[in-house]
Amino acid sequence: MTAGESLQVRVRDIVELAPSLKRFSFEPAHGGLFPTPPAGGHVMLTLRDGGRVMKNAYSLVSAPMERARYDIIVRLVAQSRGGSAFLHRKVAPGDVLEMARPVSLFPLASSAKKHLLIGGGIGITPLLSFLPELKARGARFELHQLSGGEEAPVFERLLAPYAAGEEIRVHGGGRAAFDLAGLLSRQPLGTHVYVCGPHALMDAVTATAAALGWPRGKIHKESFGGAGGGLPFRAVLKRSGIEVEVGETQSLLEAIEAAGIDAPCLCRGGACGECRTEVIEGEVDHRDDFLSAQEKAGGTVVLTCVSRARGPRLVLDL
Amino acid sequence: MSDQGIKSRPKYQPIAPDPQGRHHLLVVDGAHVPAEALAEGVNPSAFEVWTVAHKSAVPGSAAMEEEAGAVRVFRSVPHLFSALEERLARETMGLRLYAAGTEPFLWDAYGIGARAGLSQQEMAFAHVGAQARRIFCVHCRTVMEGVTTSIATCAGCGAPLFVRDHFSRRLAAFMAVQIDAEVPGEVPQAEELYS
Ligand code: FES
Repeated sequence: MTAGESLQVRVRDIVELAPSLKRFSFEPAHGGLFPTPPAGGHVMLTLRDGGRVMKNAYSLVSAPMERARYDIIVRLVAQSRGGSAFLHRKVAPGDVLEMARPVSLFPLASSAKKHLLIGGGIGITPLLSFLPELKARGARFELHQLSGGEEAPVFERLLAPYAAGEEIRVHGGGRAAFDLAGLLSRQPLGTHVYVCGPHALMDAVTATAAALGWPRGKIHKESFGGAGGGLPFRAVLKRSGIEVEVGETQSLLEAIEAAGIDAPCLCRGGACGECRTEVIEGEVDHRDDFLSAQEKAGGTVVLTCVSRARGPRLVLDL
Repeated sequence: MSDQGIKSRPKYQPIAPDPQGRHHLLVVDGAHVPAEALAEGVNPSAFEVWTVAHKSAVPGSAAMEEEAGAVRVFRSVPHLFSALEERLARETMGLRLYAAGTEPFLWDAYGIGARAGLSQQEMAFAHVGAQARRIFCVHCRTVMEGVTTSIATCAGCGAPLFVRDHFSRRLAAFMAVQIDAEVPGEVPQAEELYS
């Protein structure tokens, strides 16, 4: 599964940033310091709610040099798949949780002349994890955060520590008031763009940049969270000899885990490919950004963390 | 023993404008775009073209047009390259850079493009003209131009060198290693290879 053994972490404090946004700060449960996280690091929390086990991935928003604590920001989503609701409602300071060691899934391009960061809503978190590194490198960057009007001040505050002398802007008017094409068309040669947020925003950035002549290799998408639910279906795990029901608001990976199978995963957002599983039978509704168009068309593999069955049944080599 | 099958030898092919690009700049190290530098059916007017006249009497390009079909003439290759550096420094994403000419010209252009932040996806090269190589002696780092044989004597340290097919993109030159390192004095006949 994930590299190295996992960490036991204690909740130090929980700060409510906005009605649906909380920052959780963790410290090592047994004292000492955390390992130095990579820039843009993600951690995966294992959350146990009674008999239910949930695993969720979050970006570290504390600076990499900060080893006394790890911070994450969690949005309570309306139709939460469980993890964020559990963190918001049931986790309290002093609780001890299991956390996988941080890994970097979205490294910054080392050859970039400039980094253009575009975030939408909670998609700000991986961008926040990049900022200390960009500052430390003295790299040239520009950041645009889109948000609903009421949360704009929250994002302003989160970005304030990095704002001095930098091109950092929060757009409280959302997508409509944001000149994406203008922004992308005036970037100097050698710019890399990183976008994280709702799928509609990521698709708009990818399509607009491509239309303006940006090469594929300089457009980076950070998928975040699941691609939403869908119709329920049944997954047959051939090797394990069991069948699981995948609910409407549950991912295939979560259903497999709920059945007690230790399935591979890392980002849980369709970006790393770690959860790639062979499909023996059934049609896949691919929702990831990792597999190539050919692999998707081939229909013999599925990324269980975000993709689902198109029909009533999927047979997996698991 | 001329081709050791080493894979670093750059690949070239006739140029066609990348449909993904927004602006196409083609630099050539001669007065005209050689027909064989372009893919079939491609017209030079698809590019903004920069050429080198190799003479001092260059018609002053009055208005510096930066669009497909515009042609700008330079007195010399260094003149073109310094203008290219300035131009790329103020260019925006979407530009594609193409170069046609001899190998050293191509790879100097590649180096300027790479330093300006262009990736290999944003550049393309066509090799035309002399096949002579720029080589560098790995022992004393001397660079020699216009080498057309498989074996050459280093102008820096006098070593008999074998020109390998190993190409350094950073130096825009082929690597040359001492040939009689094991048995001093045992130097095979030089073959004319890259004329
Ligand atoms: S866990 Fe990363 S793609 Fe599924």
